[in-house]
Amino acid sequence: MNNPFGFSPEEVVENTVEIRKKILTTNHNAGQGHTGADLSETDILASLYLRLLRFSKDDPQHPDRDRFILSKGHGVGGLYCTLAQAGLLDSNLLDTYLQFNTKLPGHPVRQKTPFVEVNTGALGHGLALGVGLALAAKKSGNGYLTYVLTGDGELQEGSNWEAAMTAAHYQLDNLIWIVDRNGLQLADCTETIMSLEPLDDKLAAFGMSVHTTNGNDPAEFIATVESLPKDDGKPKAIIAQTTKGKGVSFIEGQPSWHHRIPKGDELPQALEELAC
Amino acid sequence: MLTENHTQDLREVMVQTFIEEAEQDRNLVVLVSDSTSTAKIKPFMERFPDKLVNVGIAEQSLVGTAAGMALGGFVAVTANAAPFLVHRANEQVKNDVCYTNANVKLVGLNAGVCYGALASTHHAIDDVSIMRGFGNIQIFAPSDPVEAKQIFQYALDYEGPVYIRMDSAPFPVLHDPDYRFEPGKVDILRQGRDISIIAMGSTVHEAHAAAFMLEEQGIDAEVVNASSIRPVEHEGILASLRKTGLALTVEEHSMHGGVGSLVAEIIAEAGLGCRLKRLGFVEGKFAVPGPRGAMRAHIGIDAQGIVTAAREMLSRTP
Repeated sequence: MNNPFGFSPEEVVENTVEIRKKILTTNHNAGQGHTGADLSETDILASLYLRLLRFSKDDPQHPDRDRFILSKGHGVGGLYCTLAQAGLLDSNLLDTYLQFNTKLPGHPVRQKTPFVEVNTGALGHGLALGVGLALAAKKSGNGYLTYVLTGDGELQEGSNWEAAMTAAHYQLDNLIWIVDRNGLQLADCTETIMSLEPLDDKLAAFGMSVHTTNGNDPAEFIATVESLPKDDGKPKAIIAQTTKGKGVSFIEGQPSWHHRIPKGDELPQALEELAC
Repeated sequence: MLTENHTQDLREVMVQTFIEEAEQDRNLVVLVSDSTSTAKIKPFMERFPDKLVNVGIAEQSLVGTAAGMALGGFVAVTANAAPFLVHRANEQVKNDVCYTNANVKLVGLNAGVCYGALASTHHAIDDVSIMRGFGNIQIFAPSDPVEAKQIFQYALDYEGPVYIRMDSAPFPVLHDPDYRFEPGKVDILRQGRDISIIAMGSTVHEAHAAAFMLEEQGIDAEVVNASSIRPVEHEGILASLRKTGLALTVEEHSMHGGVGSLVAEIIAEAGLGCRLKRLGFVEGKFAVPGPRGAMRAHIGIDAQGIVTAAREMLSRTP
């Protein structure tokens, strides 16, 4: 099974511009959304869906598909816009984001949306779920890979470290844990609230094969994932260094944009920046 | 009928059922959190070492990993002490299992006050209440080896979340060999006219013994085994109560949210004129710790306490 698009890094980058426009417009129209988180993860999601993940466009539940878990479920707007850009979701549905009984709720719901694997939103759940999926693959002899995208503030949840221990203990080298390391959480910088550094040392000490990369550069991110060691008995942890709100100058690096949306003139300003 | 000399630990029944199901190629995996002895899982582990996953003392990981394995195609069973399952891993049960609708069977071992004097950190007297608060999960409390086997077989067949409340005590057989467990169906263990004693799990045996004691005093008690908490067919409970007019519920559980609450809801929603007394742990209080028998006597959920409560209810009935 392959990725149905197989885009080049350059093609992925072109699509990220459109995804970011969708995010800003969708959040603006919905009147709510986690704009900073959506923009932070855009390049990672685009790289996954347009290049890296092996799945079938026509059969979202194909048993051999790679699994992707958005543990930072509040970034679901970024996921919907990526799926829409890829044609995996009807773009018109973006107009229903967050509305009553929508197919696009404010956190991922697998019963509502195709290509959503699991219902996340409470932080610190995705990695253990990913461990279970990766362990199931090992035990059933299936070659799918399991990708989990966590935030960085999310790593303050102890459940992640339980799951990390389990992943290393069961030598889940088919598990790829991506940390969206934008350095911000709801209230402030992660290092101010509850410091995570030295994160790479911590992940390595838990038995991960650790790789640091630029999570806002699809070319570098894709190269990192595609050169991960295989069959080494170690789960992979990718520290994807990102900028929260990436792509729009007045949103970048601002904690207040965790769940702010573009209002009034902010939307055309932001869209114009992206067009440049 | 009660045969005290033939008792069996329901965990042994559970493990034997797992072995039989795995032998028949059931795509089963059992997850424990250092709870191999709690679950008495060794015979299964030795027979199918690859189908046993131990995540260590990490209940959040236990439930999350189980949900992930279920999404990966397995029937995932967790087996650990009920308090650490329902309390520590509460959010994983809610989101990863229930909300995601993962095919996970959560077995709450040594529920109620099985741990007795080890006190409230080890008690689970609110597990049914908590599970009833979640959407999407079926809830069962087997009372004897015959029923336990059938509940586990049903749970492994059923596609979706299930919670099974388990006791640590060996129990005699209450059911005839031709008994067939059906989810939702109310199980009348003993027919009676004067009062309905509706009990759950281990206290079904106390209710059963109490009915014999009451019979000697000229009171004809009906014993209802509420092993299927969700689903539950209201009409089964109502039919018994229309006949007797008195409801006495018994559970090694808080009065809040367990079988007493369930029966109260059923009575009220049906508009049935019927007196209800709930026996269980007093709402809003932790259990007074001590030997389990003494704890049960203290709140009147032993056979003698049930007799006393039944007689008191009948004495107030014109």
